[in-house]
Amino acid sequence: MHIEKHPVLGRQLLKPVTIYFNDQPYQAYSQQSVAAALMANGIKKLGVSRKLVQSRGLFCSRGRCCSCYMTIDGEDHVRSCMTVVKDGMRIYPNMEDPEVRREIDED
Amino acid sequence: MKTDVLIIGGGPAGLSAAIETASRGLDVTIVDEASQLGGQLNQQTQTLRPLPSVYEPMRGFELAYKLIEQIKGLSVKPLLNHRVVGFYADGSAGITDEENVFPVKAKKIIVASGAAEKAVAFPKWTMPGIMTIGAAQTLINRDFVMAGREAVIVGSSDFAMETAMQLMAVGTRVKAIIEKQSEVSAIDQEKVSELSRNGIPFYFNSFIKEVRGNGQVEQIDIELPDEVITLNVDLVCMDGGRMPILDVFYQLGCSFGFQEELGGWVPQYSNTFQTDREDVFIAGNAAGISTQGPLLLTGMIAGISVSEELQAIRSAEANEMRETLWKELGLLEYKEVYSGRVKHLENFTSPILKDQFIS
Ligand SMILES: Cc1cc2nc3c(=O)[nH]c(=O)nc-3n(C[C@H](O)[C@H](O)[C@H](O)COP(=O)(O)OP(=O)(O)OC[C@H]3O[C@@H](n4cnc5c(N)ncnc54)[C@H](O)[C@@H]3O)c2cc1C
Ligand code: FES
Repeated sequence: MHIEKHPVLGRQLLKPVTIYFNDQPYQAYSQQSVAAALMANGIKKLGVSRKLVQSRGLFCSRGRCCSCYMTIDGEDHVRSCMTVVKDGMRIYPNMEDPEVRREIDED
Repeated sequence: MKTDVLIIGGGPAGLSAAIETASRGLDVTIVDEASQLGGQLNQQTQTLRPLPSVYEPMRGFELAYKLIEQIKGLSVKPLLNHRVVGFYADGSAGITDEENVFPVKAKKIIVASGAAEKAVAFPKWTMPGIMTIGAAQTLINRDFVMAGREAVIVGSSDFAMETAMQLMAVGTRVKAIIEKQSEVSAIDQEKVSELSRNGIPFYFNSFIKEVRGNGQVEQIDIELPDEVITLNVDLVCMDGGRMPILDVFYQLGCSFGFQEELGGWVPQYSNTFQTDREDVFIAGNAAGISTQGPLLLTGMIAGISVSEELQAIRSAEANEMRETLWKELGLLEYKEVYSGRVKHLENFTSPILKDQFIS
């Protein structure tokens, strides 16, 4: 749930944006992190652990624990607590280790 | 890129160091991986006191604003959304914008990288809905998102009590505070009584036995001294204490000492806040976990020492200012923390750990 009126800071959620999680649209606000915006929409499971495939979500919210990895706009293993939402952002849960090898450009 | 002073971390400590150096004409660069200056102050809505005599008591985010105000018009370049990831052979910092890495050559470096929260392990503690108290605070005060509807808090430090009150203020029902010791660890008893008055039970000598839920926490079992109770909650906030963030100090090859009162392993430094790497200074929670007033003072001392090294201020004047600030530090800082700091300084010339990696 978004906090529309904060007890100390008042109304701060002024600029709505639309983000896409698993191709479904959700409402977020411009200053929110991706992890927070998803949690506001009831999505707490942001990915799974690599070995035991357990659910993972936001844990430290300051970029230290890497529990919140997601695939954001085509990039894998992005810390969703440190990434601010953008209108039209496409977000997928982190289901496995990313493919780090890449083709050598042949030109 | 070149700069006189590179400050790593734009929290209260880094900002106060920036004010001291830039106001004396030095060219300063602040790098921070967050998207705004202010560090952890940005989500602190509680009133901070005591602060150094130059500041009135004010809320955390107001202090951030006040500090940022003071660097306006000075030669301070903030590099936000940028992270220090290592150092080049010539001592330049390797800074990334997450796409490219570039070197920044500085005459002096001040590391004010802050603190990280420690976890409290219990069965299934990694389940979504279980987070640090700091994370819950960030959600409600920075992102304006409810962290949960029904919560318990594990631990009872001042920071935990503060977070419990802030959660309640946005409408989260705090169902219990669970403490493994026989009494609260918070020093400020006022908040503790306020929470009790609000009917929140404190379970002492207790811990979380088990967590259940389908992909996210739904129910917990709490082991009390003589029974096990079950609560339905969707949020568990844990308060495992904090420790200095040391990555950058490892990369710089600084030596460390272990000081329980300062949060564990802490880089060694002298009373000028200079580390054993001559060009590297330290400030803030990275130099030992403390409260905001003292943290500002450490940033000011480090800033004055760097200004002295770069001849922006005379040594006699620098010594005098440092002496005054140390006195104030002794007054503002919790007794145990201050004495831990003094003990830590004494080990400067005989560090426990040198050229080793600790984890
Ligand atoms: C989420 C959270 C909430 C907190 N809330 C409270 C509270 O309510 N009350 C309280 O007393 N204390 C609280 N604290 C403790 C907090 O650490 C201090 O209040 C204070 O902000 C510390 O100041 P600092 O300048 O030392 O560090 P910080 O404010 O943490 O600033 C350090 C900055 O350095 C940056 N950084 C670190 N490493 C790098 C790198 N390699 N490259 C680039 N940038 C880097 C970080 O992004 C950060 O912005 C909280 C801590 C956390 C983590
Ligand atoms: S929640 Fe810890 S890195 Fe994002």
